[in-house]
Amino acid sequence: MYAPPIQRLIAELSRLPGIGQRTAQRLAFHILRESDEDATALAAAIREVKEKIGTCEICFNLAEGPRCRICLDDRRDPKVICVVEEFGDIIPMERTHEFHGRYHVLGGALSPIDGVDPEDIRLAELYRRVTGDEVTEVVIATNPTTTGEATALHIADELHHVAPDVTVTRLASGLPVGGDLEYADEVTLGRAFAGRRRL
Amino acid sequence: MRVRRLRAREFRTYARLDVALGTGLTVVHGRNGAGKTNLLEALYFGCTGRSCRTSNEREVVRFGAQATHVDLDLCDADGVEHTLSVGFEPGEPKRLKADGAEVERLLDVPARPLVSVFLPDRLELVKGPPSLRRAHLDQVIAAAWPARAQTRRAYGQAVAQRNALLARIRTGRASRASLPAWDAEVARHGVSLRDHRAEACALLADPYAQAAEDLGLSGTSVLRYRPRTDAPDAAALAAELAERVDGDLDRGFTGHGPHRDEIVLQRDGRELRAYGSQGEQRMGLLALLLAEREALAEARGALPLLLLDDVMSELDPVRRAKLALRLDGPGQSVITTTDLAHVPGADAGSVCRIAVRDGAALVEPGGGGGMRFRRVPRPLGTAVEALTAELAPLTGLASVQRAWPDAVGPAIAAQAEPVAEQGGEVTVRCRSAVWAQEVELMGPALVAALNASIGTERVRSLRCTAGAGRPGDRRNR
Ligand SMILES: Nc1ncnc2c1ncn2[C@@H]1O[C@H](COP(=O)(O)OP(=O)(O)O)[C@@H](O)[C@H]1O
Ligand SMILES: [Mg+2]
Ligand SMILES: [Zn+2]
Repeated sequence: MYAPPIQRLIAELSRLPGIGQRTAQRLAFHILRESDEDATALAAAIREVKEKIGTCEICFNLAEGPRCRICLDDRRDPKVICVVEEFGDIIPMERTHEFHGRYHVLGGALSPIDGVDPEDIRLAELYRRVTGDEVTEVVIATNPTTTGEATALHIADELHHVAPDVTVTRLASGLPVGGDLEYADEVTLGRAFAGRRRL
Repeated sequence: MRVRRLRAREFRTYARLDVALGTGLTVVHGRNGAGKTNLLEALYFGCTGRSCRTSNEREVVRFGAQATHVDLDLCDADGVEHTLSVGFEPGEPKRLKADGAEVERLLDVPARPLVSVFLPDRLELVKGPPSLRRAHLDQVIAAAWPARAQTRRAYGQAVAQRNALLARIRTGRASRASLPAWDAEVARHGVSLRDHRAEACALLADPYAQAAEDLGLSGTSVLRYRPRTDAPDAAALAAELAERVDGDLDRGFTGHGPHRDEIVLQRDGRELRAYGSQGEQRMGLLALLLAEREALAEARGALPLLLLDDVMSELDPVRRAKLALRLDGPGQSVITTTDLAHVPGADAGSVCRIAVRDGAALVEPGGGGGMRFRRVPRPLGTAVEALTAELAPLTGLASVQRAWPDAVGPAIAAQAEPVAEQGGEVTVRCRSAVWAQEVELMGPALVAALNASIGTERVRSLRCTAGAGRPGDRRNR
């Protein structure tokens, strides 16, 4: 077979999502053929993203440093928090220009089948934020799937207990049922925002 | 959607089969064992990629042959031509094509006729467990209102999640904290599902009574929906679920909700299922299929292709005439008979007659079929509303495999796949021993989830093996 360093590279590449053994091999050979500068630039980019990009200590969005640009932005309304499943859901929401508050990234949705219980997503952190700060409204923007809906209902239940004064709303339906926020278009999402309802 | 031409190779008795169907009624006649039912089965196979007769599909390949092919030429309401083709070699994945392009499942193909099939040896729908009738009704609903197909799936997913949570609570791996949220989610879809079923049954009730009377089922025939819950709204159903949670925790699965509904077929106040004679059950089934056809025509102007195997022999001449009159209306139907004289009007110019003998089928001249058409190329992606329903129950491993990803969720589906089914025991191949153990642990919940989503109590246990090979390699979700 190949020399151990090549085998190691193939093994690492094949662990990436969507990359099988064959593709990993092709990529590895491509890297071998590349100039030193190109290969080093790739390695440096990987190292840099891991060194510099982490998660925001407040909202768990991606952040360069301890806090993300949204949490650092004074113009954003700290009284409203929009709860999403993944950080990938923030960008489509931002594109609507309808929302001027801050976010909270759960890192998933409740799914007993997959062994995801309330402790496994960032709910405790959310409740802490909501009770501690000057928050007046929480908009739940989990996906309109079975797991996303159940997560929304669970959060609403809990918030009514821990923060009875806070208004809890849910994005209006009109989003495709069973869909992902990530793939919803701006107009639909914007409308969903404008028509959010109380939970 | 109309089937114009059926071609098959190495299917059952047929080395080669090539017949054109009529635009309305087609009568297939021949002596016993000639291959009439085989021809109907080939049609069904071409429309759905499955057999309506057996779960052991290798049986359809002609003795001594390696593989079978079925090709259909279709024509939609606008006169646009389509093709469907199914290639099957036992042990290999099927090759399914729509308009020449490979597809994963024919069920998702818009250019697919709905099929409604009556086989005399298929009475389970009337005399079997309620789950079969629920699944059947839900398929009719999906055919009549395509957007509603989602409700049964969502309900199945919600129940599966709640069952998984019950199992986790029972084994101390999760708290009850999120249970109310799942109750609410189950209830939300449950109430919609119940309302859809009630609407469908209301639509079927009169046509069923009428068809039963026409067919000579004596006494008063009634089709009635018996829902498990009559909660006025989702909140009330959620409350009912919450009340029963201790029992559910004992059992390890959800015992209340529309997955326990019944669709009752009665004659003079007694259930056909329990008290009907074989003949009465047959007439009940036929009346149900005819009623559905009417309801579908009313709901969306789509008439399923009706396949009726050997029904006339059971009927007296008056009933035969009444049935023939119904089949004379719009929509395509294919009926088999040993005796052409049993089908009133079979000699009419509009009727296509196919004589079957010695493994060959011949379209007789003068009938409504037999015309030849040239295929016109058609732009791919023509927006046609999807017909996702099948009006006969699925069997065996195929139904388990189809329900699997939704019933167990993506995480498990990526790690484990069902590879065999025998007598209710499903063999699940897992990527690793750890996953085999995990799936084993979730066994009862997964069984309940699978059954809820298939709509029968088919699955009884899971047997997990850790093996090589990447699940999902050959199949998408
Ligand atoms: N795979 C097969 N290959 C060849 N012949 C078959 C196959 N399966 C069934 N047959 C034959 O088909 C005949 C039955 O055909 P069928 O269509 O059921 O008859 P009928 O005209 O009475 O409906 C039987 O003689 C049986 O042996
Ligand atoms: Mg027969
Ligand atoms: Zn932040």
